[in-house]
This record gives sequence, C-alpha cells and structure tokens, in this order.
Amino acid sequence: MSSASEPNILDLSNVSYSYRKQAPLISGLSLSVGQGEFIGLLGANGSGKSTILKLGSGILRPHTGEVLLWSKPLQTYRNRDRAKLISYLPQTLDITVPFTVRELVGMGLYPYDIPPAMSIDSALEIVGLLDKAPAHLTDLSGGERRRTFIAMTLVQGAGLLMLDEPLANLDIKYQFEMLKLLKELKLNKNISIIMALHDINIALQFEKVLLIKEGRMLGCGAPEAILTKGMLRDAFDVSIDIKKQDSGEAYISYGSNF
Amino acid sequence: MKNMKIRTAIIIIVPVMIFGLSLIAGPRMINPFAADDISREILFSVRAPRSIVALLMGMALGASGAVLQGILKNPLADPYILGISSGASLAAVLGIMTGAAFLGSFTIPALAFSGALITGVMVGIMGWKRGGLWPERLLLAGVGLSFFFSALLMLIMSISSDEGLRKAMLWIFGDLSMSEWSKVPYGLAFVLPGILISLFRAKALNALILGDDFAHSLGFSPHRERFILFVAVGLLTAASVSLGGMIGFIGLLVPHIIRSIIGSDNRLLVPFSAIGGGGLLCIADLISRSVLAPTELPAGIVTAIIGSPYFLYLLRRKNVLSI
Repeated sequence: MSSASEPNILDLSNVSYSYRKQAPLISGLSLSVGQGEFIGLLGANGSGKSTILKLGSGILRPHTGEVLLWSKPLQTYRNRDRAKLISYLPQTLDITVPFTVRELVGMGLYPYDIPPAMSIDSALEIVGLLDKAPAHLTDLSGGERRRTFIAMTLVQGAGLLMLDEPLANLDIKYQFEMLKLLKELKLNKNISIIMALHDINIALQFEKVLLIKEGRMLGCGAPEAILTKGMLRDAFDVSIDIKKQDSGEAYISYGSNF
Repeated sequence: MKNMKIRTAIIIIVPVMIFGLSLIAGPRMINPFAADDISREILFSVRAPRSIVALLMGMALGASGAVLQGILKNPLADPYILGISSGASLAAVLGIMTGAAFLGSFTIPALAFSGALITGVMVGIMGWKRGGLWPERLLLAGVGLSFFFSALLMLIMSISSDEGLRKAMLWIFGDLSMSEWSKVPYGLAFVLPGILISLFRAKALNALILGDDFAHSLGFSPHRERFILFVAVGLLTAASVSLGGMIGFIGLLVPHIIRSIIGSDNRLLVPFSAIGGGGLLCIADLISRSVLAPTELPAGIVTAIIGSPYFLYLLRRKNVLSI
C-alpha cells in the first residue's frame, strides 16, 4: 500500500481526454498505483478503461491534468527509459508474422544495451512455457500466447504492468491460470499490476477495484466496499447484487434479470 | 530453430557461388585464370558490372520487400505495391519515347529515379494523417496511385510507335543489358544506405509488426520508426527500378522463403532477404542471357518461372504464413 514515505509508481491527477472532437471520454479522473498493488479497473464497455491505461502508459497524452511516473511527469522520460519502468499490453496484438515464443520474449530486451537481470529462459520458466520456446506464436493456445507476452514484460523488467483485458476470450481455466500467475508476480517480484476487466465475478477476487463509468471514477477500494447494488446499477445499468455464501465467498445474485 | 548455423551458411554461400558462376558462365564459358583478351574484356567490362548491378538490384528488392511486409503488416506487400515503381516506369518510358538523352546513359535511370521519388513523396503525403504514416492509408494511396500511373503508361504505349513500344516493354520487364561500371557506384549510393537503415531499425520493425501500442511499450516511437523505414524502402525501390526496370517475384516472395528458413526476426530476415534476392537475380540474369543467346529474356520472367514453383511448394509444406 502507498504511504507518504513510499511514493506511488503512477499518478494520474485530474486527467481529461477526448478523441478528436467528440465529447470527453475521460474527465477529471485521478488515480494512483502504489508499489506492489494489484488493481482491477472495472467498467462497462466504452467506459474508458482502455483509454485510462493508454493515458497511464503514455500512448495518449491527456488534454488537461498530469500523469506522473515516480513523481516525475511521464513525458519527461525518454521512450527507452520509460519502457524499463512500465509495460503496457494491448488487448489484442497483430500476429501477421509467425514469430517464435523465444523471439517474442527476447523483444523485452529492446530497451536495453546491457541485458537486464532476467534471462529469456527464466522468464519462460516462470510462466511455464520453457518447453514451448521454439514454437510459433500462431501455434499456441490463447492462454499460452498471453503468458508469452507476460514473459516478455518480465524480461523487459518493468515494475508496473498495465494490461488491457488480459483475461478476455480465455476459457475459465486459463483465466484462473493467468490470475494466479499475475498474483505470484505481485508477491514474488513486487510487480504492480493494473488491469482492465469487465467481469464482476473476477473483480471480486481483487484486493482493490476501481469502478469506472463514462470516464469518471465511481469508487475505489476493496470490492466489498465498491461493488454494492447501487454502484453496480450506476456502472452497468442492471439490477444485481453481491451476496455472500456461508463460507464467506462473495458471488453475484442476478435477481430477476433473467 | 535447428541447424541454424548450417542454414545461415547456406543462405550466404549459395548466392556467393551464384555470383561467381554468373561471371564465368554464359553463352561463352570463361576460365578467369586462362582468359584471352576478348574473354577478359567480356569478363571485366560486360559480365562483372552486369552481375554486380543484378546483385544490387536483387538485394534492394529482397530487403525492401521484407521491410514493407513488416510496416504494412501485409504478407502480400512488395516493393511495387506503393506505386513507386509505376511512377518510375512512367517517367522512364516518357524518356524512352521522346528519346531524351540529356545525361547520356544515365538519362533513363535518372528519370526513373525522379519518378520514383516524386511518387514516394506523394504516397507519403497521402498516407499521412494526425502526425504519422498509417499502414492502411499508405497501402491504399500506393495502390490508387499505381493504377493511375499504370493507366497513363498504357495510354502512352498504346499511341506509340512499334520500335518505341518494344524498347519500353523491355525496360519495364527488367533489362540488365544496359549495365555498366558507372551504374555500380550509383546503385551502391542508394542501396547500401537503404539496407543499413533497415538493419539498424530492425528491432523497431519487429515491434511495429505486433502493433503500434506494443512498439510504444517497448520504447519506440511508432510513427517516427515507420517514417524512417518508409524512407529506406523508398530509396531501395527507387534505386532498383532505376537500375534495371521492374523485376517481379523477388520483393514479394524472397522474404517469405527466407522466413521459412531462418525465422521472422527482422535482424536476420532483412539482411538474408537482401542476400537471397541478390543471388536469385544473379542466377535469373545468367539464365536469361544464356538459354536463347544471343536473344535475351527479361530477367523478371525468369525469376518468376524458377521462383514461383519453389514458393508454392513451401506454402504447402512449411509454416510460411501465420494464416
């Protein structure tokens, strides 16, 4: 958790953004990511989750407000220096060319002249794909492909991962595998993670959730505090509730929606 | 990949052997160690410059094809898709038809190069929006301009005399018979920088293939990198077309063949596509001037006839494309 002595990795303060001449997609949004935090960015389709991640990683520049990386304005970093601190993974990647797993993971070395601590092999071992190193990306399952990209970010050595829907289009087994992997990275490597998602059930598993609607923050905190009936109606425009089983596990009650 | 060293060695050794063969073989076999005056004259004044020009041209086509397939993210891209070659052909054919000779033997290459550059700048302007070049815009601008210039070219050819038509056709299909030593430094001046720029930006090219946001995350500025690579491709295409017209197949298919041998990493793909392209054009030129000597076949026809079956075989057998 962040405190005064330990600065945040990333701060967005009062950030606004609009695509060309349309109405603002993000307006007056502030959020921060502390060291070792694992944050779920939850919101309906088109709520601005991807745009927030792109603003935070410097792909887009805010029209007003400021983005700070380690308390310094993001745009003052050289591209390569920024790449050693933040890694952003888009939801989909264009795989028009059959790169191998090893070639892709090796791209994590590109910001460096002298190779960083993590080798390609050890990164592949962490994500459990060492035996697939010579395989083509096009021959992997969706889950393996996502894990390959995570291995690349490990080689890249960034302390902050910004992942756009890393669980989208994965079978539930692979969703669990991916979440487990990310949690291990947070615990063992002290890597901070902020990831977009739109599955409320998955959001319940996070320590910290940011709930987004139309580019504004509805709430930020532990899921039980944020994912309330009123907030969920506001964010997703449906009437659902979160209930607890006797075991203490939270689940969605769909009520009379079906 | 298995046997990487052997594969690399083959891609280097075979083109070097082809280059050597193209010097000594032909309608008249020449033993370089026991050549008479006439043979020596043929070897040094005719074959050597011609083989070197073929090598340079093939290298430019192979390398620029690999780069273009990357920046346009399209396996069908080749150096001629951006319309640069159509602009060059139009300018060159206009020169041939009007009998222009203001720069001696350099007149037609200079016209072709200017046509290529003007077209390249036009494609760049049309492909530019919101601070950068966009692959889809570049591709459509190139295809559109290409159609326009081809139509003008056909118009000129359809109203021209038979003799002019024949000369123009020969040039368009790739004519290396005009190669001479003076073309070598000219070719080197554009082909070498083009290949070197592509090589130095090969990491960025790898990242761009996976998407602009991905490239940004790895510390590259996508629009800047694409612009640099586009300039390199423009130089290579302009140089190759002005050296000897249009030679099909190499720019499109050599990168795919090389990819099937050594993989997709552009740090290897770009230089080896250059070497492979150079070797292929050398042997195609050797065949084209030997089989029906003294009549010469256009080298572009030979590259396609010997290259296409091999490519189609690869397409069935190996992981050439990701689709």
